[in-house]
Amino acid sequence: MFKKILIANRGEIAVRVIKACQEMGISTVAVYSEADRESLHVQLADEAFCIGPPPAVDSYLHMESIIQTAHQSGAEAIHPGYGFLAENAEFARFCEKENIVFVGPNSKALRLVGDKVRSRQTMEKAGVPIIPGMKTIPKELSEFNSEAGKIGYPVMIKASAGGGGKGMRIVHSPKDLKSALEAGMREAKSAFGDESVYLEKFIEEPRHVEFQVLADNHGHVVHLFERECSIQRRHQKIVEETPSQALNPKLRTLMGETAIKVMQVSGYNNAGTVEFLLDKDRNFYFLEVNARLQVEHPVTELTTGVDLVRQQIMIASGEKLPFQQEQMSQRGHSIECRIYAEDPLNNFLPSSGKVLFLKEPKGPGVRHDCGVYSGSNVPIYYDPILAKLIVWAEDRTAACQKMVTALDDYVILGIKTTIDFLKEVIAHPQFAAGKTTTSFIEKNFDGWQGKTKTEESLRLALVASAFDNFSQAYSSVNKGAVRKEVYSPWQALGRWRIGGEK
Amino acid sequence: MEYEFIIDDRLHKISFDKKENVFVISDGEKTIEANIHFISSNALSILIEGQSHLVYLAREGDKKYLSLQGQAFTVQEPSAEGKSFVDKEERSQQDELLVRAPMPGKVIKINVSEKEEVRKNQTLAIVEAMKMENEIKSTIEGYVKKIFVSAGDLVGSENPIIELGTRD
Repeated sequence: MFKKILIANRGEIAVRVIKACQEMGISTVAVYSEADRESLHVQLADEAFCIGPPPAVDSYLHMESIIQTAHQSGAEAIHPGYGFLAENAEFARFCEKENIVFVGPNSKALRLVGDKVRSRQTMEKAGVPIIPGMKTIPKELSEFNSEAGKIGYPVMIKASAGGGGKGMRIVHSPKDLKSALEAGMREAKSAFGDESVYLEKFIEEPRHVEFQVLADNHGHVVHLFERECSIQRRHQKIVEETPSQALNPKLRTLMGETAIKVMQVSGYNNAGTVEFLLDKDRNFYFLEVNARLQVEHPVTELTTGVDLVRQQIMIASGEKLPFQQEQMSQRGHSIECRIYAEDPLNNFLPSSGKVLFLKEPKGPGVRHDCGVYSGSNVPIYYDPILAKLIVWAEDRTAACQKMVTALDDYVILGIKTTIDFLKEVIAHPQFAAGKTTTSFIEKNFDGWQGKTKTEESLRLALVASAFDNFSQAYSSVNKGAVRKEVYSPWQALGRWRIGGEK
Repeated sequence: MEYEFIIDDRLHKISFDKKENVFVISDGEKTIEANIHFISSNALSILIEGQSHLVYLAREGDKKYLSLQGQAFTVQEPSAEGKSFVDKEERSQQDELLVRAPMPGKVIKINVSEKEEVRKNQTLAIVEAMKMENEIKSTIEGYVKKIFVSAGDLVGSENPIIELGTRD
């Protein structure tokens, strides 16, 4: 087993990995950009090294700095988390060359599954169902036009190196194709350093169902069932759950077997996720392999009892999987809500700034994977995910109730977050009915104005604000501070105390 | 003491005084008595007629952020913004012509040039923050009067990016 691991990430996932390492008795090395000096992962790790200026390309995506830090600190392995370098085959190869273990798939498998176009070709050959669309990347922008015509509008633009919705655009008519391609390419370039995009048929109102897979270095592959991640905004998941309401045991078995086949065909090892789209008629199509630990991995952990990060580290160190497919089972229901620094009332615009106050929800069956704290800064440079709230209960109805209660118990002040919005999503009758498709937000929450504030809550807000001013004026006099702009009789009186000198 | 606060663009007045161990609060229509304590630096316990309320509160500059009964409030003190608050009607007309950054971020691209005619909903600029690109669109039909920033610039929330003009 490793003695020291470097975590090449930030935020909640870096914290998650650090905690797994600590439990396994492995020392941890954090890396951080100049914008993250005070971040939680820096505080929790045993060692921390600054690797560059705030922009990700100069820090968290800077391979040389990270490898050099690993050597300098004596880390034997690098855990990439998700995003940044997690699915970068060049980085995995770099690690292999430098004799550092990359906690993830081998660079060859990563290159294959990371290239969405090539993996589509491979899967089609292996008999895995794929979405109709382009199987090569055209050289000229003009080629997209004729391809889009062949596929038939609406078409979906996808980044070849993609994931997380970055670079994705739906195009409904030929006149919008050029600008959408340009935007998609720019976004892909900035997110993955690769601007290749391709077109696929846009499947209307699908469900997004993915299978978690673990593969050790000795050829054993198991799946840990599905996660349904249909609730999305901007093609990015915000609510995930398992089990999916759309699968029956027969379909679950078939999709699970297909997921294992995908990984075997790719020569894949370590943890990975096979994503499928499920259409209205329950046909499923291979979408892509997410060659990393997923944001939503906790729902699988809570229902299967398997610690995926621990397994990732064990597999990377060469251990065999400690279980067989027949031993895997799921119990109860788990839901995850992603807490983003975004304003749901304003088109989900990112909201950077300072977390002035954080109160974490607690209770039986409530898990909070969090990368911020009261007083921490949320910089403009990185993904707006702050934390994940995950609940487990015996069935879906109870899990929904638990989630709403936990969200009610969750307070973040100072920046805008998705907490209130998520509460409404989970409490929505269509969600309760399990009618979750990728257009759920669009259909049910278009032009959402937020919950109407009651007279009573407004009055309480005013009372609290007045009391705050009142007591601040009082305490600032006590501290001898001068309050400007407001005339206050307390100041005119100078130093004094109730009851006089004792 | 009289206090004024702005919540959701509306000005509210409240009188708040200490009388022995309770606070007497009036909004002009209704007078209530409340027992209020800070139970930690960010949490207030308010008792009104036997009802217990918990309020979370944090402040930054002239703003207070509150969470109570599962609802979030941003409370602004009018002292600094008082003037612009009064002029809000006027400002909104101007605002339509002044295109501002919707959030702090980096200008990726300016899609128009000065003096260029623009249609309603035409993309004027692209600002990126937290890895998401946001297209800033024109709310009017007119022309580009002035461009304040260029690609690569960092902008703060509400910073002007482009000024538009109308041809009357």
